[in-house]
Amino acid sequence: MNNNTTDQQTPAIPSGIPQEAQAVLQGIEAQETKYRRNLIIAFAVLLSLMIASLVIIGLDFKFMIKWLPFILTGIGYTFLVSSLAISLACVLAVLGALGRLSENPVLNSIATSYVSLIRGTPLLVQVYMWYLALPQIGKSLEEFGITGIQALFTLPAIPAGILALGVCYGAYMTETVRAGIQSIKLGQTEAAKALGMTNSQTMRRIIFPQALRVIIPPVSNEFIAMIKDSSLVSLMGVWELSYRAIKIGRRHFQSLEMLITVAMIYWVLCMILQLVQEKIEKHMSRGDRRTQ
Amino acid sequence: MTQDLEPMVKVTNVHKVFGRKHHVLCGIDLEVNAGETVVILGPSGSGKSTLLRCINFLEGPTAGSIEVDGVVIHAGENSKLRNQQILDIRKKTGMCFQSFNLFPHMTVLENIIEGPTTVLNQKKNQAIPYAEELLDWVGLTEKRDEYPSHLSGGQQQRVAIARSLAMKPKVMLFDEPTSALDPELVGEVVEVMERLAKEGMTIIAVTHEMHFARDVADRVFIMDNGNWVEEGPPDKIFNNPEQERTRQFLAHIL
Ligand SMILES: Nc1ncnc2c1ncn2[C@@H]1O[C@H](COP(=O)(O)OP(=O)(O)OP(=O)(O)O)[C@@H](O)[C@H]1O
Ligand SMILES: [Mg+2]
Repeated sequence: MNNNTTDQQTPAIPSGIPQEAQAVLQGIEAQETKYRRNLIIAFAVLLSLMIASLVIIGLDFKFMIKWLPFILTGIGYTFLVSSLAISLACVLAVLGALGRLSENPVLNSIATSYVSLIRGTPLLVQVYMWYLALPQIGKSLEEFGITGIQALFTLPAIPAGILALGVCYGAYMTETVRAGIQSIKLGQTEAAKALGMTNSQTMRRIIFPQALRVIIPPVSNEFIAMIKDSSLVSLMGVWELSYRAIKIGRRHFQSLEMLITVAMIYWVLCMILQLVQEKIEKHMSRGDRRTQ
Repeated sequence: MTQDLEPMVKVTNVHKVFGRKHHVLCGIDLEVNAGETVVILGPSGSGKSTLLRCINFLEGPTAGSIEVDGVVIHAGENSKLRNQQILDIRKKTGMCFQSFNLFPHMTVLENIIEGPTTVLNQKKNQAIPYAEELLDWVGLTEKRDEYPSHLSGGQQQRVAIARSLAMKPKVMLFDEPTSALDPELVGEVVEVMERLAKEGMTIIAVTHEMHFARDVADRVFIMDNGNWVEEGPPDKIFNNPEQERTRQFLAHIL
């Protein structure tokens, strides 16, 4: 929108727009420039206040910089865990939503209980379930005579974390996806059917692509939340971002520095993700009247 | 007009009951020959849309049978074969809705080739030439790459007609295609329907466009409470109806 106005202003005044209207347009533009300038100033002031307060409390910046590389190496785990977990969650969410919308009583009840059970229990308990309680189940099954099951059910920390996060977020996202699918007007399904599409073609070609537009913002939200929740795998001793920061902080009695460092890293990560989200949303909203 | 031995569409004793006792269609019979244009009129809630939607099984009839171009389906149990037959009938019938229902995430051209590519498994470049021909035919060549939300209602409905025609249907069903349009946009859609009728398409239309009913239709049917009141050539229905109910209804809408 801003581009348009500047584009039109630079190559002389377009003919046909009367003098008074020109003045109004210029007024609007001046106001927009002023607003943008003030916004930048406000952010700059806020940022310098934050930095100033950090300096005043006597933060040891040298210490922070010294350990930064060590903490940053934990990003790999954070990314590995959260991206695999979000992938798993997306698959489960689509299956869950189809189950919730299914007329088949078996599928429907499975999906409904999955959502209810997972949403009704704390993530922390679920993490320990996958990590500590599952081997016990394996042991009982082994005693029933299924050989090798205990080894299979004894998960290393990272797979256990991925499963716990993926299954948990999958349950929340099931509801998001279901709501997204249901938000598409019945007329779309009818138009697709009238062309002779099968149910699955209708879902794949017509309903889901439209639902995706509704789903993307809340799913990005979930992903951002997941980046932070992935620190739960540190409970199982995985050396990811926050585990490293906490360890070093405790050892040198400089927890404040380490916590602020790791908080900033998470913040930057989430801001990057938000940028990606905005890019995707912009792409998805083509065909939307508002983007014109 | 071509007169086949078998009618193109044959609706036999169709009943539709919504819920347990809302009897909307009460034993409807309708035969439409190839190339014929039939207009259905009737008061709101009389069951016109429901009848059209039973013909392509957007609603399953509660009793009776539907035949389109030789495919016969009886009301009743679902089966694999029957579902396949329903898809067959839907491929043979195009349907235009009051609210257009274009796919908003696809451009005009993508809307039109969606049926051929997804349902008939044509390659994209195989489907595009005919789609462009259809776009030209409805007079929207320059809107090829626009999204539906940037088109007027009349333009959207014309794209919707082209989208249906891309499947090369044997029958076109129109459910009040102009009643969501501003008055000045009605003409362009009716004009397209008229040309379609002239080119020999079999058409069943629910519309209150009197010009179309009078001058284009071969036969007009009056429906009330899920029953036929009267049928006949437009001339007779509009100028010399037999039933008092028809007279009342026409007095109301004319
Ligand atoms: N899916 C449905 N479930 C329950 N009742 C329905 C359904 N669809 C239609 N009906 C009912 O069936 C009756 C006939 O509806 P229909 O839409 O066929 O009427 P119509 O003749 O097309 O009317 P209009 O001119 O208003 O479009 C109405 O009483 C309507 O409420
Ligand atoms: Mg209707």
